Amino acid sequence: MTILIISTCSEKLSEREFVTPISKIVGAANQKILHYTECTEQNIFEFEKILICGTSLQDNSYQKDIDKFKMILTNFEKPILGICSGMQILCTIFGDKIIKNLEIGMVDIETLEKNSLCKGNFQAYSIHNNSVGNLVHFTILAQSETSIQVIKHKTKNIFGVSFHPEVRNESIIENFLSI
Amino acid sequence: MKLAVLFSGGKDSYLALQYASVDHKISCLLTLESEKEDSWMFHTPAIEWTKLQAKAMKIDHLISKTSGVKEEELDDLGSIIESSISKYSIEGIVTGALASVYQSTRIQKICNDLGLWCFNPLWQMPQKQLLQELLSNKVESIITGIAAEPFDDTWLGRCIDSECVDDLMSLESRYRINPAGEGGEIESFVLNAPLFHKSVRIIESKKYYSNFSGRLEIKKALLI
Repeated sequence: MTILIISTCSEKLSEREFVTPISKIVGAANQKILHYTECTEQNIFEFEKILICGTSLQDNSYQKDIDKFKMILTNFEKPILGICSGMQILCTIFGDKIIKNLEIGMVDIETLEKNSLCKGNFQAYSIHNNSVGNLVHFTILAQSETSIQVIKHKTKNIFGVSFHPEVRNESIIENFLSI
Repeated sequence: MKLAVLFSGGKDSYLALQYASVDHKISCLLTLESEKEDSWMFHTPAIEWTKLQAKAMKIDHLISKTSGVKEEELDDLGSIIESSISKYSIEGIVTGALASVYQSTRIQKICNDLGLWCFNPLWQMPQKQLLQELLSNKVESIITGIAAEPFDDTWLGRCIDSECVDDLMSLESRYRINPAGEGGEIESFVLNAPLFHKSVRIIESKKYYSNFSGRLEIKKALLI
Protein backbone atom coordinates (compact mmCIF):
# COMPACT_ATOMS: atom_id res chain seq x y z
CA MET A 1 0.00 0.00 0.00
CA THR A 2 1.45 3.36 -0.99
CA ILE A 3 0.43 6.57 0.72
CA LEU A 4 0.65 9.98 -0.91
CA ILE A 5 1.58 12.80 1.45
CA ILE A 6 0.72 16.19 -0.03
CA SER A 7 2.49 19.32 1.19
CA THR A 8 0.55 22.60 1.26
CA CYS A 9 3.57 24.63 2.45
CA SER A 10 4.56 27.56 0.26
CA GLU A 11 7.92 27.71 2.08
CA LYS A 12 10.15 24.64 1.86
CA LEU A 13 11.44 25.31 5.39
CA SER A 14 7.93 24.78 6.80
CA GLU A 15 7.89 21.21 5.45
CA ARG A 16 10.33 20.17 8.19
CA GLU A 17 7.63 21.15 10.67
CA PHE A 18 4.41 20.12 8.96
CA VAL A 19 5.31 17.31 6.54
CA THR A 20 8.37 15.50 7.93
CA PRO A 21 6.71 14.49 11.25
CA ILE A 22 3.79 12.97 9.34
CA SER A 23 6.13 11.20 6.96
CA LYS A 24 7.87 9.63 9.98
CA ILE A 25 4.56 8.30 11.34
CA VAL A 26 3.57 6.86 7.96
CA GLY A 27 6.96 5.15 7.57
CA ALA A 28 9.46 5.63 4.77
CA ALA A 29 8.87 2.35 2.96
CA ASN A 30 5.39 3.00 1.66
CA GLN A 31 5.01 6.68 0.93
CA LYS A 32 5.66 9.43 -1.54
CA ILE A 33 5.73 13.15 -0.73
CA LEU A 34 4.59 15.66 -3.36
CA HIS A 35 3.91 19.36 -3.13
CA TYR A 36 0.36 20.05 -4.31
CA THR A 37 1.68 21.93 -7.32
CA GLU A 38 3.32 18.67 -8.47
CA CYS A 39 0.08 16.66 -8.25
CA THR A 40 -2.18 15.85 -11.17
CA GLU A 41 -5.41 13.89 -11.37
CA GLN A 42 -3.41 11.18 -13.16
CA ASN A 43 -0.33 10.90 -10.92
CA ILE A 44 -2.31 10.58 -7.69
CA PHE A 45 -4.43 7.65 -8.88
CA GLU A 46 -1.79 4.99 -8.13
CA PHE A 47 -1.98 5.78 -4.39
CA GLU A 48 -4.17 3.94 -1.91
CA LYS A 49 -4.63 6.84 0.48
CA ILE A 50 -3.83 10.54 0.60
CA LEU A 51 -2.78 12.70 3.56
CA ILE A 52 -2.88 16.47 3.02
CA CYS A 53 -0.63 18.22 5.55
CA GLY A 54 -1.04 21.56 7.28
CA THR A 55 1.16 24.60 7.01
CA SER A 56 2.38 27.66 8.89
CA LEU A 57 -0.04 30.12 10.54
CA GLN A 58 0.93 32.89 8.12
CA ASP A 59 0.71 30.68 5.04
CA ASN A 60 -2.60 31.12 3.21
CA SER A 61 -1.33 30.60 -0.33
CA TYR A 62 -3.18 27.27 -0.65
CA GLN A 63 -6.45 29.20 -0.54
CA LYS A 64 -5.64 30.71 -3.94
CA ASP A 65 -5.35 27.25 -5.50
CA ILE A 66 -8.66 25.67 -4.51
CA ASP A 67 -9.52 25.11 -8.20
CA LYS A 68 -6.29 23.15 -8.59
CA PHE A 69 -7.18 20.95 -5.60
CA LYS A 70 -10.68 20.48 -6.96
CA MET A 71 -9.29 19.29 -10.28
CA ILE A 72 -6.83 16.90 -8.63
CA LEU A 73 -8.97 15.39 -5.87
CA THR A 74 -12.63 15.40 -6.95
CA ASN A 75 -12.48 12.01 -8.68
CA PHE A 76 -10.18 10.30 -6.16
CA GLU A 77 -12.46 7.69 -4.54
CA LYS A 78 -10.05 6.27 -1.95
CA PRO A 79 -9.57 7.56 1.64
CA ILE A 80 -8.21 11.09 2.19
CA LEU A 81 -7.26 12.78 5.45
CA GLY A 82 -6.81 16.55 5.47
CA ILE A 83 -4.92 18.08 8.38
CA CYS A 84 -5.58 21.73 9.31
CA SER A 85 -5.20 23.57 5.97
CA GLY A 86 -5.78 20.15 4.38
CA MET A 87 -9.17 19.95 6.08
CA GLN A 88 -10.05 23.46 4.90
CA ILE A 89 -9.11 22.50 1.34
CA LEU A 90 -11.28 19.35 1.42
CA CYS A 91 -14.30 21.28 2.71
CA THR A 92 -13.88 24.02 0.15
CA ILE A 93 -13.64 21.73 -2.86
CA PHE A 94 -16.98 20.20 -1.92
CA GLY A 95 -18.59 23.63 -1.48
CA ASP A 96 -18.26 24.29 2.26
CA LYS A 97 -16.65 27.46 3.59
CA ILE A 98 -13.43 28.48 5.35
CA ILE A 99 -14.07 30.77 8.34
CA LYS A 100 -11.76 32.83 10.58
CA ASN A 101 -10.95 30.87 13.73
CA LEU A 102 -7.81 31.33 15.82
CA GLU A 103 -6.54 28.49 17.98
CA ILE A 104 -2.92 28.22 19.17
CA GLY A 105 -1.97 25.58 21.72
CA MET A 106 -3.59 22.59 23.35
CA VAL A 107 -7.38 22.36 23.03
CA ASP A 108 -9.89 20.05 24.70
CA ILE A 109 -11.85 17.99 22.20
CA GLU A 110 -15.01 15.96 22.61
CA THR A 111 -15.92 13.15 20.26
CA LEU A 112 -19.56 13.47 19.23
CA GLU A 113 -20.04 10.42 17.05
CA LYS A 114 -18.43 6.97 16.86
CA ASN A 115 -15.81 7.01 14.12
CA SER A 116 -12.62 5.41 12.80
CA LEU A 117 -10.19 8.13 13.88
CA CYS A 118 -10.82 9.14 17.49
CA LYS A 119 -12.90 8.40 20.56
CA GLY A 120 -13.79 9.98 23.90
CA ASN A 121 -12.40 13.27 25.16
CA PHE A 122 -8.82 14.16 24.36
CA GLN A 123 -6.41 17.08 24.06
CA ALA A 124 -4.81 18.11 20.79
CA TYR A 125 -2.31 20.68 19.50
CA SER A 126 -3.83 23.34 17.28
CA ILE A 127 -2.29 26.20 15.35
CA HIS A 128 -4.61 27.81 12.86
CA ASN A 129 -6.08 31.16 11.92
CA ASN A 130 -8.87 29.55 9.91
CA SER A 131 -11.23 26.63 10.23
CA VAL A 132 -14.50 25.52 8.67
CA GLY A 133 -18.10 26.23 9.62
CA ASN A 134 -21.76 25.68 8.65
CA LEU A 135 -20.91 22.36 7.03
CA VAL A 136 -23.34 20.97 4.48
CA HIS A 137 -21.33 18.14 2.93
CA PHE A 138 -19.50 16.90 6.04
CA THR A 139 -20.54 15.42 9.39
CA ILE A 140 -18.91 16.76 12.57
CA LEU A 141 -17.30 13.87 14.47
CA ALA A 142 -15.55 15.88 17.20
CA GLN A 143 -15.36 19.49 18.32
CA SER A 144 -13.73 21.85 20.81
CA GLU A 145 -15.47 24.68 22.62
CA THR A 146 -14.73 27.10 19.81
CA SER A 147 -14.42 25.08 16.63
CA ILE A 148 -15.07 21.99 14.55
CA GLN A 149 -12.19 19.52 15.03
CA VAL A 150 -12.86 16.24 13.20
CA ILE A 151 -15.14 15.76 10.20
CA LYS A 152 -16.10 13.12 7.64
CA HIS A 153 -17.65 13.57 4.24
CA LYS A 154 -21.27 12.38 4.28
CA THR A 155 -20.80 9.77 1.55
CA LYS A 156 -17.04 9.36 0.96
CA ASN A 157 -14.10 8.18 3.08
CA ILE A 158 -12.80 11.72 3.29
CA PHE A 159 -11.78 12.97 6.73
CA GLY A 160 -10.48 16.23 8.14
CA VAL A 161 -8.87 17.22 11.43
CA SER A 162 -8.40 20.85 12.39
CA PHE A 163 -5.58 20.14 14.88
CA HIS A 164 -2.16 18.58 14.29
CA PRO A 165 -2.34 14.86 15.12
CA GLU A 166 1.40 14.47 14.49
CA VAL A 167 1.82 16.18 17.88
CA ARG A 168 0.63 13.95 20.74
CA ASN A 169 -2.11 12.22 18.69
CA GLU A 170 -0.17 10.00 16.33
CA SER A 171 -2.81 7.27 16.75
CA ILE A 172 -5.23 9.34 14.67
CA ILE A 173 -2.90 9.07 11.67
CA GLU A 174 -2.33 5.37 12.40
CA ASN A 175 -6.10 4.84 12.59
CA PHE A 176 -6.54 6.56 9.24
CA LEU A 177 -3.86 4.33 7.70
CA SER A 178 -5.78 1.27 8.98
CA ILE A 179 -9.07 2.22 7.28
CA MET B 1 12.55 35.97 3.42
CA LYS B 2 14.49 37.93 6.07
CA LEU B 3 14.55 35.95 9.29
CA ALA B 4 15.72 36.32 12.89
CA VAL B 5 16.81 33.23 14.82
CA LEU B 6 16.11 32.79 18.53
CA PHE B 7 19.64 31.81 19.42
CA SER B 8 20.75 30.31 22.73
CA GLY B 9 24.18 29.21 21.55
CA GLY B 10 23.24 25.55 21.95
CA LYS B 11 23.07 22.74 19.42
CA ASP B 12 19.32 22.99 18.69
CA SER B 13 19.16 26.68 17.88
CA TYR B 14 22.34 26.39 15.81
CA LEU B 15 20.96 23.47 13.77
CA ALA B 16 17.68 25.35 13.21
CA LEU B 17 19.72 28.36 12.04
CA GLN B 18 21.71 26.22 9.62
CA TYR B 19 18.57 24.69 8.08
CA ALA B 20 16.90 28.09 7.77
CA SER B 21 19.95 29.65 6.14
CA VAL B 22 19.65 27.33 3.12
CA ASP B 23 16.80 29.28 1.50
CA HIS B 24 16.57 32.43 3.59
CA LYS B 25 18.56 35.47 4.66
CA ILE B 26 19.39 35.35 8.36
CA SER B 27 19.26 39.02 9.29
CA CYS B 28 20.10 38.62 12.96
CA LEU B 29 20.32 36.37 15.98
CA LEU B 30 18.17 37.15 19.02
CA THR B 31 19.31 36.13 22.49
CA LEU B 32 17.61 36.63 25.82
CA GLU B 33 19.89 36.42 28.82
CA SER B 34 17.79 35.12 31.68
CA GLU B 35 18.50 36.30 35.21
CA LYS B 36 17.12 32.97 36.49
CA GLU B 37 19.07 29.78 35.88
CA ASP B 38 15.89 27.71 35.56
CA SER B 39 14.15 29.84 32.96
CA TRP B 40 10.90 28.38 31.56
CA MET B 41 11.70 29.50 28.06
CA PHE B 42 15.38 30.16 27.60
CA HIS B 43 18.48 28.01 27.80
CA THR B 44 20.93 29.70 30.18
CA PRO B 45 24.51 28.32 30.58
CA ALA B 46 27.17 30.27 28.70
CA ILE B 47 24.50 32.52 27.15
CA GLU B 48 26.74 35.60 27.37
CA TRP B 49 29.17 33.92 24.98
CA THR B 50 26.60 33.85 22.16
CA LYS B 51 28.09 37.21 21.10
CA LEU B 52 31.31 35.41 20.24
CA GLN B 53 29.40 32.81 18.22
CA ALA B 54 27.54 35.56 16.35
CA LYS B 55 30.87 37.19 15.54
CA ALA B 56 32.23 33.83 14.36
CA MET B 57 29.26 33.53 11.98
CA LYS B 58 29.36 37.21 10.97
CA ILE B 59 25.67 37.61 11.78
CA ASP B 60 24.26 40.63 13.61
CA HIS B 61 23.16 39.89 17.14
CA LEU B 62 20.61 41.48 19.45
CA ILE B 63 20.89 40.45 23.09
CA SER B 64 18.83 41.64 26.04
CA LYS B 65 18.16 40.68 29.64
CA THR B 66 15.02 38.99 30.88
CA SER B 67 13.81 38.47 34.43
CA GLY B 68 13.30 34.77 33.80
CA VAL B 69 9.96 34.96 35.59
CA LYS B 70 7.39 32.71 33.91
CA GLU B 71 5.22 34.61 31.41
CA GLU B 72 7.06 37.93 32.14
CA GLU B 73 9.91 36.69 29.99
CA LEU B 74 7.44 36.47 27.10
CA ASP B 75 7.08 40.27 27.18
CA ASP B 76 10.86 40.51 26.94
CA LEU B 77 10.83 38.08 24.02
CA GLY B 78 8.15 40.17 22.29
CA SER B 79 10.25 43.31 22.81
CA ILE B 80 13.43 41.89 21.32
CA ILE B 81 11.47 40.53 18.33
CA GLU B 82 9.92 43.98 17.82
CA SER B 83 13.42 45.47 17.88
CA SER B 84 14.48 43.09 15.13
CA ILE B 85 11.46 44.14 13.04
CA SER B 86 12.39 47.82 13.43
CA LYS B 87 16.07 47.30 12.76
CA TYR B 88 16.09 44.57 10.11
CA SER B 89 12.51 44.41 8.75
CA ILE B 90 12.44 40.70 9.48
CA GLU B 91 9.48 38.69 8.19
CA GLY B 92 9.84 35.62 10.37
CA ILE B 93 11.37 33.93 13.39
CA VAL B 94 13.25 30.63 13.52
CA THR B 95 13.37 28.57 16.71
CA GLY B 96 15.07 25.35 17.76
CA ALA B 97 11.87 24.07 19.42
CA LEU B 98 11.79 20.29 19.29
CA ALA B 99 8.83 19.03 21.27
CA SER B 100 7.87 21.60 23.89
CA VAL B 101 4.27 22.63 23.29
CA TYR B 102 4.72 25.23 26.06
CA GLN B 103 7.56 26.99 24.20
CA SER B 104 6.11 26.54 20.75
CA THR B 105 2.64 27.82 21.65
CA ARG B 106 3.98 30.98 23.21
CA ILE B 107 6.34 31.81 20.38
CA GLN B 108 3.66 31.08 17.77
CA LYS B 109 1.30 33.50 19.56
CA ILE B 110 3.89 36.29 19.67
CA CYS B 111 4.72 35.80 15.99
CA ASN B 112 1.06 35.71 15.02
CA ASP B 113 0.35 38.93 16.94
CA LEU B 114 3.25 40.61 15.11
CA GLY B 115 2.29 39.17 11.71
CA LEU B 116 5.53 37.17 11.48
CA TRP B 117 6.14 33.71 10.08
CA CYS B 118 7.36 31.19 12.64
CA PHE B 119 9.66 28.36 11.55
CA ASN B 120 10.49 25.41 13.79
CA PRO B 121 12.63 23.17 11.56
CA LEU B 122 13.45 20.66 14.31
CA TRP B 123 9.81 20.24 15.38
CA GLN B 124 9.02 16.63 16.39
CA MET B 125 12.44 15.43 15.25
CA PRO B 126 13.37 12.21 17.11
CA GLN B 127 16.18 13.00 19.56
CA LYS B 128 18.43 10.26 18.22
CA GLN B 129 18.11 11.75 14.74
CA LEU B 130 18.91 15.22 16.08
CA LEU B 131 22.12 13.95 17.65
CA GLN B 132 23.04 12.14 14.45
CA GLU B 133 22.38 15.25 12.37
CA LEU B 134 24.75 17.21 14.59
CA LEU B 135 27.44 14.66 13.84
CA SER B 136 26.73 14.43 10.11
CA ASN B 137 26.72 18.25 9.86
CA LYS B 138 30.05 18.41 11.72
CA VAL B 139 28.64 20.61 14.48
CA GLU B 140 31.20 20.72 17.29
CA SER B 141 29.47 21.34 20.59
CA ILE B 142 30.11 20.71 24.26
CA ILE B 143 27.90 20.03 27.25
CA THR B 144 27.60 23.14 29.46
CA GLY B 145 24.75 22.10 31.72
CA ILE B 146 23.47 18.86 33.27
CA ALA B 147 20.38 18.23 35.37
CA ALA B 148 19.54 14.55 35.72
CA GLU B 149 20.76 11.29 37.16
CA PRO B 150 23.29 9.74 36.34
CA PHE B 151 25.26 12.72 35.02
CA ASP B 152 28.41 13.45 37.02
CA ASP B 153 30.84 16.33 36.61
CA THR B 154 32.84 14.51 33.91
CA TRP B 155 29.99 15.31 31.52
CA LEU B 156 30.56 19.06 31.89
CA GLY B 157 32.69 20.30 29.00
CA ARG B 158 32.42 16.97 27.21
CA CYS B 159 32.42 17.20 23.42
CA ILE B 160 29.21 15.87 21.82
CA ASP B 161 31.00 13.46 19.48
CA SER B 162 29.96 10.01 18.31
CA GLU B 163 31.15 8.37 21.53
CA CYS B 164 29.19 10.87 23.59
CA VAL B 165 26.08 10.32 21.44
CA ASP B 166 26.39 6.55 21.99
CA ASP B 167 26.66 7.12 25.73
CA LEU B 168 23.63 9.44 25.75
CA MET B 169 21.61 6.90 23.78
CA SER B 170 22.53 4.13 26.19
CA LEU B 171 21.31 6.26 29.12
CA GLU B 172 17.91 6.73 27.50
CA SER B 173 16.61 3.27 28.30
CA ARG B 174 18.34 2.92 31.70
CA TYR B 175 17.50 6.31 33.17
CA ARG B 176 14.68 7.50 30.91
CA ILE B 177 16.54 10.66 30.01
CA ASN B 178 15.91 12.47 26.75
CA PRO B 179 19.21 11.79 24.95
CA ALA B 180 19.28 15.19 23.24
CA GLY B 181 18.32 16.92 26.49
CA GLU B 182 14.84 18.03 25.46
CA GLY B 183 13.70 17.74 29.08
CA GLY B 184 16.53 20.03 30.25
CA GLU B 185 18.81 17.09 31.11
CA ILE B 186 21.69 18.61 29.18
CA GLU B 187 22.50 22.05 27.80
CA SER B 188 25.08 22.61 25.10
CA PHE B 189 27.26 25.26 23.49
CA VAL B 190 28.45 25.20 19.87
CA LEU B 191 32.17 25.83 19.34
CA ASN B 192 32.43 25.33 15.60
CA ALA B 193 30.08 24.44 12.75
CA PRO B 194 29.66 24.91 9.00
CA LEU B 195 28.36 28.50 9.33
CA PHE B 196 31.28 29.53 11.58
CA HIS B 197 34.11 31.44 9.88
CA LYS B 198 36.22 31.01 13.02
CA SER B 199 35.87 28.56 15.86
CA VAL B 200 35.39 29.35 19.54
CA ARG B 201 38.22 28.21 21.79
CA ILE B 202 37.56 28.09 25.52
CA ILE B 203 40.65 29.30 27.35
CA GLU B 204 39.37 29.14 30.91
CA SER B 205 36.29 27.60 32.47
CA LYS B 206 35.01 26.40 35.82
CA LYS B 207 32.68 23.54 36.73
CA TYR B 208 29.92 23.90 39.30
CA TYR B 209 28.41 20.55 40.27
CA SER B 210 26.24 19.08 42.98
CA ASN B 211 23.95 16.07 43.11
CA PHE B 212 23.50 15.35 39.36
CA SER B 213 23.17 19.02 38.53
CA GLY B 214 25.87 21.32 37.24
CA ARG B 215 27.04 23.89 34.75
CA LEU B 216 30.23 24.85 33.02
CA GLU B 217 30.98 28.54 33.37
CA ILE B 218 33.09 29.85 30.52
CA LYS B 219 35.42 32.46 31.97
CA LYS B 220 37.54 33.22 28.93
CA ALA B 221 37.12 32.29 25.27
CA LEU B 222 38.31 33.61 21.93
CA LEU B 223 37.92 33.07 18.21
CA ILE B 224 40.66 31.30 16.28
